[in-house]
Amino acid sequence: MKFPNYTSILICFFVLTSCYESLDFKQLDNFVSKQDFTLALNYFSLVPSQFFSSSGVPESQISDITNIEIFQNENLIIDIVKIDFNTAIKNGFDRDITITVEFLNNENAVIYTFTPTSIASKDLNYRYLEEIEIASNPDIVNTSKVKITVSLENSGTPLNLNDIAKFEFKSSMTVYVESSF
Amino acid sequence: MKNILFFLLILSIAKGIGQNKQVLYNFAELPQTLLSNPGTEVKYKSHFGVPLFSGFSMDFGSSGFVLTDLFSIDNNNINDKISFVLNNLTTKDFVKFNSQREIITAGFRVDDAYVSFGFYKEIDAIVYYPKDVITLLNEGNAAYLNKRFRFSQLLYKADIVGVIHAGITKKVSKKLTMGGRFKIYSSALNTESIGNTGTFTTTEGTDNIYKHYLNNININIKSSGLVGVDDEFIDQPSAYLNNTFLGDNLGVGFDVGATYHITPQLEFSGSILDFGFVHHKKNIKNFTAVGSFFTEGINLQYDSNNPKNYWQELSDNFEEQIPANGNGDSYISWRPTKLNAAMKYSFGEKRSEICYDDTYKIFYTDAVGVQLYSVFRPLSPQLAFTAFYQKSITNKFHTKLTYTADDLSYHNIGAGFSAQYGKVNLYGMLDNILEYTNLSSANSLSFQLGMNVIFN
Repeated sequence: MKFPNYTSILICFFVLTSCYESLDFKQLDNFVSKQDFTLALNYFSLVPSQFFSSSGVPESQISDITNIEIFQNENLIIDIVKIDFNTAIKNGFDRDITITVEFLNNENAVIYTFTPTSIASKDLNYRYLEEIEIASNPDIVNTSKVKITVSLENSGTPLNLNDIAKFEFKSSMTVYVESSF
Repeated sequence: MKNILFFLLILSIAKGIGQNKQVLYNFAELPQTLLSNPGTEVKYKSHFGVPLFSGFSMDFGSSGFVLTDLFSIDNNNINDKISFVLNNLTTKDFVKFNSQREIITAGFRVDDAYVSFGFYKEIDAIVYYPKDVITLLNEGNAAYLNKRFRFSQLLYKADIVGVIHAGITKKVSKKLTMGGRFKIYSSALNTESIGNTGTFTTTEGTDNIYKHYLNNININIKSSGLVGVDDEFIDQPSAYLNNTFLGDNLGVGFDVGATYHITPQLEFSGSILDFGFVHHKKNIKNFTAVGSFFTEGINLQYDSNNPKNYWQELSDNFEEQIPANGNGDSYISWRPTKLNAAMKYSFGEKRSEICYDDTYKIFYTDAVGVQLYSVFRPLSPQLAFTAFYQKSITNKFHTKLTYTADDLSYHNIGAGFSAQYGKVNLYGMLDNILEYTNLSSANSLSFQLGMNVIFN
């Protein structure tokens, strides 16, 4: 009859000696995961000849537009709290240039516009930051297109078609995300 | 991120029930030792396991952190605790889970040979923490300019299999006993992602502020038994259970082992287990993404005569450079092969016990020794070194105490017993018993228990 006695002793030993520290899994309710994603956005380089039509007529402004499908992902946009748009611009032209950035929705309606930015002639180190709090601008997440318009300021002299000066535009976006359980 | 934490949580909850088979290895001539070494000496005439209860084992281990690191009741902020844990994880840290349940097992003697067979089900899973991917998902890339986030850290393997096995153990000479076991695997579920390559890097750009690189991407995720022909996840437990017995995804493997008496008191034993594979060909759902891609963003052309859909071009270019494909191609998965080796020195009081051929065998009441255990895992072999002391308190009651150092602990003390009452044998083993003083802070626990009927 030794077998039941030994077994009982062994089982009792571990039952009596094992224990655990209380845990609080509800702490996860207070968990906030913060992510900052940086993405390259639009860039371009323009020369004076691009401000002339195919028939050689000078144009004071030109525009281009691109789709932006980042915000089509509902799971992503629900946790975005802020977006920073950074631009780095070099204006090698002989006149000031104004940049207008417009965010459009699917119907091409403007839902957000950057403060118009004027870059002085020959300013090769212009930087601009547009900070957008989602709470103040909830429509920004409906953006599906971005339109960037480049306008030449009137300097009193006509633009030289053959000038090799460049206007360079670079941009990036930092998306601040906060998610919780 | 949430899914990863939830998965870890589920595994963590299961940690109260676990097992380590180093304790079982070569212990007390239990029938189950034939599964860890088919070359184990067998002295009884026959045995059978109590159906469903002959062998049940569980093993859980987590390196890198324990539950109390995250959920202890203190005044620390949960965000700080999670950040601390994630920052301290290494790419070698992992969480593993293994469970085996014998459904049937039996054996009988044919002359000098002992034939044993049975059927058991096994769950085996290991996930390495993909530190870079977790960092990218949890913190983003903004603070990590020039850092290469490595996808090679995506590494996991999970199996649910049923194993039909039959083996033979033969006493070749007075000193040597050898054995082998043939296995037929029936996989109910396999999913694995192994051998991935590639990095994601954000650097300062030339034409734009930043440049993003996806270099040398080769990511593959394989699964069988997880997604049905209707492309929906199989969520019926019965489907998995049914496929563990001669289902559509079959494989073969074998175990070999030997025991050699260098002297009457000094014994060497070793085994190779689960050297085999499964050929998956039904309910396959694989994913691959291969290639390289870089972008500095969208280059606007301001060409009104040739308007472009820039985003579509970017998207098309990405899909062309790194094509992501799903397929149902059959594939082979290798079983996690294990190695055992042990040296045992017996001493103490000499006793005799009756053998199957009505002769008496002399045995010693005490033994000490060392064991080496290794299992081949996707990243690298995992090793465990064990020192043990065995004591036969009576001819029918045997005990074993082990001290194991492995990837999870350098102070793992285990204990086991085997008791026979009449023809009924009962055994039980616990590993890492020091952790039972606070299960919440244990990073490794295991147990094994079962019941057999043995005929001498």
